[in-house]
Amino acid sequence: MAIYSQILANGLMLGALYACLAVGFSLVWGVLNVINMLHGSFIILGGYLTWFAWHGWGIHPIVMLPVVGALLFALGFALQKLVINRVVSAPVLTTLTLTFGLDMILYNVMTYWFTATPRRVQLDLGAVSLGPVTLPVDRLVGTALALVLTLALYAVMRGSNIGRAIVAVRMDRSAAELMGIRTERIYAITFGIGALMAGVAGVVFASVFPITTNVTGTYLGKAFVVCVVGGLGSVPGALVGGLVLGLVESLAGHWFGPQQAITAGFVLMLAILLTRPTGLVGVRGYE
Amino acid sequence: MPEPRLDPLLELAGVTSGYGQIQVLWGMDLAVHSGEVVALVGSNGAGKSTLLRTISGQLAPREGTIRFDGRAIGGAKPDAVLTAGIAHVPEGRRLFRGLTVRDNLLLGAYLRTDKDDIARDLAWVFELFPILAERQRQDATTLSGGEQQMCAVGRGIMSRPKLLMIDELSLGLSPRMVEHLGEALIQLNKAGQTILLVEQDVMTAFELSHRAYIMENGRVTRAGASTELMADPTVSEAYLSI
Repeated sequence: MAIYSQILANGLMLGALYACLAVGFSLVWGVLNVINMLHGSFIILGGYLTWFAWHGWGIHPIVMLPVVGALLFALGFALQKLVINRVVSAPVLTTLTLTFGLDMILYNVMTYWFTATPRRVQLDLGAVSLGPVTLPVDRLVGTALALVLTLALYAVMRGSNIGRAIVAVRMDRSAAELMGIRTERIYAITFGIGALMAGVAGVVFASVFPITTNVTGTYLGKAFVVCVVGGLGSVPGALVGGLVLGLVESLAGHWFGPQQAITAGFVLMLAILLTRPTGLVGVRGYE
Repeated sequence: MPEPRLDPLLELAGVTSGYGQIQVLWGMDLAVHSGEVVALVGSNGAGKSTLLRTISGQLAPREGTIRFDGRAIGGAKPDAVLTAGIAHVPEGRRLFRGLTVRDNLLLGAYLRTDKDDIARDLAWVFELFPILAERQRQDATTLSGGEQQMCAVGRGIMSRPKLLMIDELSLGLSPRMVEHLGEALIQLNKAGQTILLVEQDVMTAFELSHRAYIMENGRVTRAGASTELMADPTVSEAYLSI
């Protein structure tokens, strides 16, 4: 029994990280109908900025959180405004190819500059024990941060003028225009928020796992699975999808060996696609 | 009926418009004065919705001029037209799914920053349509058709427009609901709201308006005081026979 409380705790912590990793990807896909292949590289970029700030200047990751958020928002906003908006109404394959190409550039530039060496910010915070469950403190803090960031996005989407406008553009672009909403600007802001969430997820990840450009594809895959499992384009969808994926991977790792955890995630995705294509909490009738 | 000012609030002269190769409007002339309710009637495909889309900036006019409140607004983007003071309640309500009644109404005030006045206008919409206050936490698309129309009109008012344009107020609604909405429009107009009402239901349009335009094939074919048009046998024969 004790082993299962540990597995449950591990799964939930991993799940919160997955939710934070995927929520920006989900938002961009849901609102812009763009499958953003850059998302994994945005996460690693956020992680690298954190690592270099830590090792170069001794800047603590928590300080880097808003800095990375702002930088990635600016990068995402500019990319959408200057490049992606030109083809945003084109079929999804066009925008997918475009972000795939942009990702090749970003990925290779990062590998060239930073090399593919795995890097991790070691904060050495120790571990705490709750009965039979042992939790590394850095992971615990990372989990809490991931949840806070995800819920902060939820609060912005629900309670702010911009959040309402983003939902409006997603649901009915033409009617949104009649509210005076400049849709291309909302697209740029949404893509910026997607990049921001990827960047801050990277800050958290770099403090918990070793990161390298080699794992951009893995992170992108996780984001994909979380979206399909939870449902596209909503924060609750990403949260549910992330937590379910974390638990499934954690359990599968225990039952079938850690090497099977990723397989289990994709099997879960296939099962959901076959039985509930809108995802566990997705809205019916939208993509 | 309020005495019209000399300068119309909205004035269209020779406006042509359409989609791609298809021309829909062939030289529209129209004027709306402050304080008026003006109806625009005509059969399906006459170009009524296209005209509203051209005024609100979703389509650019190809020729002709659109003047509003003393300024040329032809070809301006929708946000600029809304800022100038024209709200467009689109055909079919087009409320935003996934957002509450309250959030839908607040989106009408998206461009405004005067928080206190927005709260006051929200209270005014709730006074006009008390059912919306009861349902304000509910997803707007779960309302009945009539309630959705109230929400759509309310959302239009929330921009505090000088001119409120409503496309097909009565479409798909029960006669009782149309009457109820009509009373709300009269109340709005008495409070000073200028309204341009597009309607397929000619009888409702004439009853609610001071003046009316009849459109056919992208042009105005008749115009005049609504009471006179209603009494005109050629009009009633063409539009009110069935």
